[in-house]
Amino acid sequence: MPRSNYSRTVASLDTLLSRRSLLSSVPTAMTGMGLVHLLSRELAAATAPSARPSRNHAAHQLGAHYEPKAKRVLQVFCPGAASHIDLWEHKPELEKRHGQPLPGEENFVSFQGKNGALMQSPWKFKPAGRCGKMFTTRLPFMAQHVDDIAFVHSMQSKSNTHGPGCIFMNTGHDIEGFPAAGAWLSYALGSSNDNLPTFVAIPDIRGEPPNGKANWSNGFLPARHQAIVMAAHQPVRNLQRPADVSKGEEADTRSFLDALNERHAEAHPGNSDLHARMAAYELAARMQLSAPEVMDISGESEATKSMYGIDDPNKLKAAYARNCLLARRLLERGVRYVNLYCASRASGVDGLLNWDAHKTLKADYDRHCPIFDQPTAALIADLRQRGMLDDTLVLWTTEFGRMPTHQAGTAGRDHNPDGFTCWMLGAGVKGGTSYGATDAFGRRAEVNPTTVWDFYATALHLLGLEHTRVTRYYNGLDRRLTDVHGNLIEEILA
Amino acid sequence: MIDRFNVPTRMAIAWFGGIALTLAISTVSVRGDDAVDFKRGVQPVLEAHCIKCHMPGNAKGELSLATRADVLKGGEDGAAIQPGDADASHLIKMITPGADGKAKMPKKGDTLPADAIAKLRAWITSGAAWPDGVVVRERAKADRTWWSLQPLSDAEPPTTPGAPEAWTRNPIDKFIYAKLAEQHLTPNAPADRRTLIRRVTYDLIGLPPTPEEVEAFVADKSPDAYAKLVDRLLASPHYGERWGRHWLDVARFGESNGFERNVIIDNLWPYRDYVIRSFNDDKPFDRFVREQLAGDVIDGDNVDVAVGTAFLVCGPYDNVGNQDPVQKAQIRANTIDEIVRTTAEAFLGLTVGCARCHNHKFDPIMQADYYALCATFAGVYHGSRDVATPDELKQRAEALAPLNARLKELDAAKAALDKSIAQNAKQREAEATARWTRPPVDRYGTEERFDAVDARYVRLVAESRDDQPNARAGFGIDEFEVWTAGEATRNVALASNGAKAEGASRVAPDFADAYAAKNAIDGRFGARWISTEPTLTITLADTQRVDRVVFSSDRIHDLPKTHVKTRFVGDYHIDVSLDGKTWTTVADSSDRKPPSAAHAKQRLRDATITPDEQKRLAKIAAEKRDVQAQIAKVPSPPSWWVGQFRAAPGPFNIFVGGSPQRPGDAVHAASPSTLMDVAKPYTLDDKAPESQRRMALAEWIVADDNPLTPRVLANRLWHWHFGTGIQSTPSDFGYMGGRPTHPELLDWLARQLHASGWQLKPLHRLIVTSQTYRQSSAFRDDAAQVDSDARLLWRFPPRRLSGEEIRDSELAIAGKLDTRMGGPGFRLYEYQQDNVATYVPLDRFGPETYRRAVYHQNARAQRVDVMTDFDCPDPAFAAPRRSATTTPLQALTMLNHNFTMDMAGALAERLQREAGKDAASQVRRAFLLAFAREPSADEADAAQRLITQHGLRALCRALLNSNELIYIN
Repeated sequence: MPRSNYSRTVASLDTLLSRRSLLSSVPTAMTGMGLVHLLSRELAAATAPSARPSRNHAAHQLGAHYEPKAKRVLQVFCPGAASHIDLWEHKPELEKRHGQPLPGEENFVSFQGKNGALMQSPWKFKPAGRCGKMFTTRLPFMAQHVDDIAFVHSMQSKSNTHGPGCIFMNTGHDIEGFPAAGAWLSYALGSSNDNLPTFVAIPDIRGEPPNGKANWSNGFLPARHQAIVMAAHQPVRNLQRPADVSKGEEADTRSFLDALNERHAEAHPGNSDLHARMAAYELAARMQLSAPEVMDISGESEATKSMYGIDDPNKLKAAYARNCLLARRLLERGVRYVNLYCASRASGVDGLLNWDAHKTLKADYDRHCPIFDQPTAALIADLRQRGMLDDTLVLWTTEFGRMPTHQAGTAGRDHNPDGFTCWMLGAGVKGGTSYGATDAFGRRAEVNPTTVWDFYATALHLLGLEHTRVTRYYNGLDRRLTDVHGNLIEEILA
Repeated sequence: MIDRFNVPTRMAIAWFGGIALTLAISTVSVRGDDAVDFKRGVQPVLEAHCIKCHMPGNAKGELSLATRADVLKGGEDGAAIQPGDADASHLIKMITPGADGKAKMPKKGDTLPADAIAKLRAWITSGAAWPDGVVVRERAKADRTWWSLQPLSDAEPPTTPGAPEAWTRNPIDKFIYAKLAEQHLTPNAPADRRTLIRRVTYDLIGLPPTPEEVEAFVADKSPDAYAKLVDRLLASPHYGERWGRHWLDVARFGESNGFERNVIIDNLWPYRDYVIRSFNDDKPFDRFVREQLAGDVIDGDNVDVAVGTAFLVCGPYDNVGNQDPVQKAQIRANTIDEIVRTTAEAFLGLTVGCARCHNHKFDPIMQADYYALCATFAGVYHGSRDVATPDELKQRAEALAPLNARLKELDAAKAALDKSIAQNAKQREAEATARWTRPPVDRYGTEERFDAVDARYVRLVAESRDDQPNARAGFGIDEFEVWTAGEATRNVALASNGAKAEGASRVAPDFADAYAAKNAIDGRFGARWISTEPTLTITLADTQRVDRVVFSSDRIHDLPKTHVKTRFVGDYHIDVSLDGKTWTTVADSSDRKPPSAAHAKQRLRDATITPDEQKRLAKIAAEKRDVQAQIAKVPSPPSWWVGQFRAAPGPFNIFVGGSPQRPGDAVHAASPSTLMDVAKPYTLDDKAPESQRRMALAEWIVADDNPLTPRVLANRLWHWHFGTGIQSTPSDFGYMGGRPTHPELLDWLARQLHASGWQLKPLHRLIVTSQTYRQSSAFRDDAAQVDSDARLLWRFPPRRLSGEEIRDSELAIAGKLDTRMGGPGFRLYEYQQDNVATYVPLDRFGPETYRRAVYHQNARAQRVDVMTDFDCPDPAFAAPRRSATTTPLQALTMLNHNFTMDMAGALAERLQREAGKDAASQVRRAFLLAFAREPSADEADAAQRLITQHGLRALCRALLNSNELIYIN
């Protein structure tokens, strides 16, 4: 029987094995830094050419287009359409005209059907911060941060349905299959750490947001740009070596595997994927060490823990608080984009699992606001006290707003895609600003109507990226996070 | 629209390129006839700067500048021009720069150059002449002379002087060699037999060759050894599983509806089987096209044909339901859009979706073409249909007739009995009604007072629901209070007072307590216990003397009392107990007014009915159940997800700017104008039945004079064999797509498809027996300098296995692959549904999942470890090309998921079974199974050491993770 061409390979397997076991005996990022660094770069370099799908288009260049203000992004997402007029944008007119019909739209039909009269917010608003912005009394912790926030009160969505609305907010498109903002950022800038993923999604303990995993999908970008899902209640899948494999067996198996792979790669020059895959195994090994470390909050001070509320008797709040703390730890360790959720999908009872207050606005938000308020505010305060807000961009988003009227026969509000609020804070953002506005009732964006694309054009700008230049060809077009739209909101830049 | 700019109406002087140009009309100086010559002077300006946003399909501000009439009619701000008076013309005001040097228009893009403005001014001043019939259009980058839109060329394989004899036999090789020679490249030597059998086996059937197959091929000295191998593989039923899967990518085949609800679809698998069968039968592709677009029209009685139309409806669609009529129309338009895009891309490689809001910017696809296709599919709806032959339907009707007749008799007997019971009850009505003195149950708060009693347990037992006397569960309780007797009365049912609540509740699998009984004693009114059984039991912290309970489903008066979300108990009783075993009823609803007339009837009936009547009713009910069981046994026609087709007569319109709220010019179901110069066009009357519209499109797609269909198909085959097509973007043959590396070869292959009667297997055979395909994949630096990604095929391009191949291989190598074909799929996730669906990946896979990956139930937006990690696409869109990326998740999954451990264990058992106890034999067998080769001496030594140290399974786990296993050379 003919011997394979393996007998003529350069290095002997034993030599390889010994080289490998040296590596696996010093597996931490610290000690193995030189080689580890090399391998990560190798992974990036080896996989870059596959980003070029068509000969008509220039190769995708990794890196910022100009000096960035922000190096990483925290995006807090409150799914279910968190009400702009109850949380962020004060509408005195609603208080004055509570119970009166909405002028010009007395009989309008929205997502769930007929609407009744104008309904004031169940909570008072009062001035907050040095800027004195009128702010809801329902979010006392968040009120402490208004001087840092740039509100965009004139957002508009293409969809009035949660699923398409959520993916529109996250991907710039209202149908599935497009990459999320975090995936685009991973694609544009690559990784900024050697032992953790680039893009992490942290779903809420109550489940996935509307449209589920499509919210953090890589879409048509390569799979390596997808978010890795982890949460305080949900470790990274398949992270731990199988229970019945000993440490020694693991090390020896991997040494053998590495040697086999190295031999194979040497016999097949010109296939950089082979090295990339070996580098990916190294990165996986480092993740096995670093992911549990990032989840382990035992080293956090008691002051920090209580600031977030991780031991709150409200279990949902405690769970979200732990996720907030996890978000900070991930950002601290070089994860570029954290997509953190507060609440989940549409349930059989409207507004139970998320911010979708169709029928019982007061009861629903009395449940959701305390979960959101203290932990989110603590996360921002923590980022600030660690100096991280200097180069971290914080985005707060939801899929659309809610109607200024109550739904016929209820004490809740229906979906309103025509006007809502998102905000940003941190690196390069002009705090204490309120950009744009809805009309007197909060029904429609009226001053400086703003799109999701404008919002992301601005976010990408802060990250040193010209949004029209972050593109990838897919089915007929050079696709973008901002579709074919997007204008920079200069008024909210510091 | 809010005016963001404060534009001065007059701007005297602007500097452009150093020339001071006065814009006031008196001083305009423009040379010669250019200014007033519309076609040379004005039209190019409008085309370059204006028409994009101001044309019939996309009239921003309701203004079109396409025709003279449009310009004079103007838009929201009135006429665009005043012929003879440039200063008074709105158009000029809008394009003239203000103090800041910026003009209001163009809104997107740079302010017009001064000479362009001057030309427009001069043209208006001179009377704004507009030649008859001239329509200003946005120019696409490519027109109908684009390469892919030309008739198939009749190029014959070239002869290259000095070509090796082996490269002159197969026409494909002649084309390839000639291009290589042009670049002074030479192809590689043939691959060795082990490499070749591995390559072609994976390529044609998606599975590894067995060691026996490898050895037989290596040992076969006959000249037709390879031809026999190819024939065997093409005849294997696994061929259809592999190549059918390719087509399912193009068809964006997904077994859930996507979007927010993403509900799983359990009757779409027949389409997957149909595709596999079609490939295995080598069904002519033109028939395959016709069946997928109009199988119901061709042979609706034949389930094997009618199932084809599932192609149209296996994509994602929004079914949330929207009461907003504007959004509803938009959603329907999106649904049709999805079908139009998929169809045009799959068969024609045309990205028609780009012509939804305006004419295609790159390709000669008009907006009218897009809406003509929308008209074609206007009657297509997602959903199931009974697919059965008339014979089957008749048999069923015959079998059912006597059973249904008997059912009718039983119903009549019951009705008669009910009537007599009701009559008796009527006589007692006055007497009974007199006892109903208390008010009916109240969702906002119902109270029962009773004599003080010691209780450790208190329970509410529903006898009916307040909206439905026959239902005993499904109601909600937002709070249930138990109050102590005496002065300082307190609610001892509160959880905060140590009480516990039990009661079967609706379950949200990923949020266990969403509707749990504890919501009824949490002291808050927002969330409810939603019952699935009649009883709510409260266990108090200790025995208490109690005399009152209060309960409700909507204490905060949130919804009207008839609202479905706050359904409440109707009739009930309240029991107490000291030990949880013996119960005493302390209150009930029998003296309350009934919640409805139906409840009243039910009460009267319960009070009146005699034991004999009860017996007779029970007997009828029993027989009825029996008949219904027999009915259930009569085979029902299969109901498959093949779409529903409803009459959808015209008129049809363009949607201006893509908005259904802005109907534009009329369109008819018709062939796209894109190919009007080469393929005979058609236009259908608006009254043509919708079936005819789909049929006409199908016939046009496969017509002999349509060059795109065979070109696109030939290129797909090439793409799937070599990893990259002759043209690199298989679903986009337009300007933004790739250019063919071998256009003559592509056309030659396309003509072979016509010649073979659209059968694919002859073309497969031709391709895989070529020297081009059979050459080695060895890397050569010098060749790579010229052609780094081997598009010219100086080597066979190595590739990574797909996610499906990797999973199938692990199963096959471990000896666990279950090769049963067809039928409902298996799941690697747990399906959870609570209003919307959630797909939770499984950590353990049972043997029922050991079938080929093509049989996995392919729901959308699920991610299942090995498959998703290795780039199996989410079928949100068609996936004409697979990625082959590298992520650390792959390593984590392959090293640590139970599936790998199970397969490593199974492979270890197999090695012991097939190679005995000798470690050297085990290693040898393992390498043959995994890599189709023997180990080298040092590999064998290292492997045996690993076995000695950690057992056979450790070696198996390493091999299943190796690069060599998942790369093809």
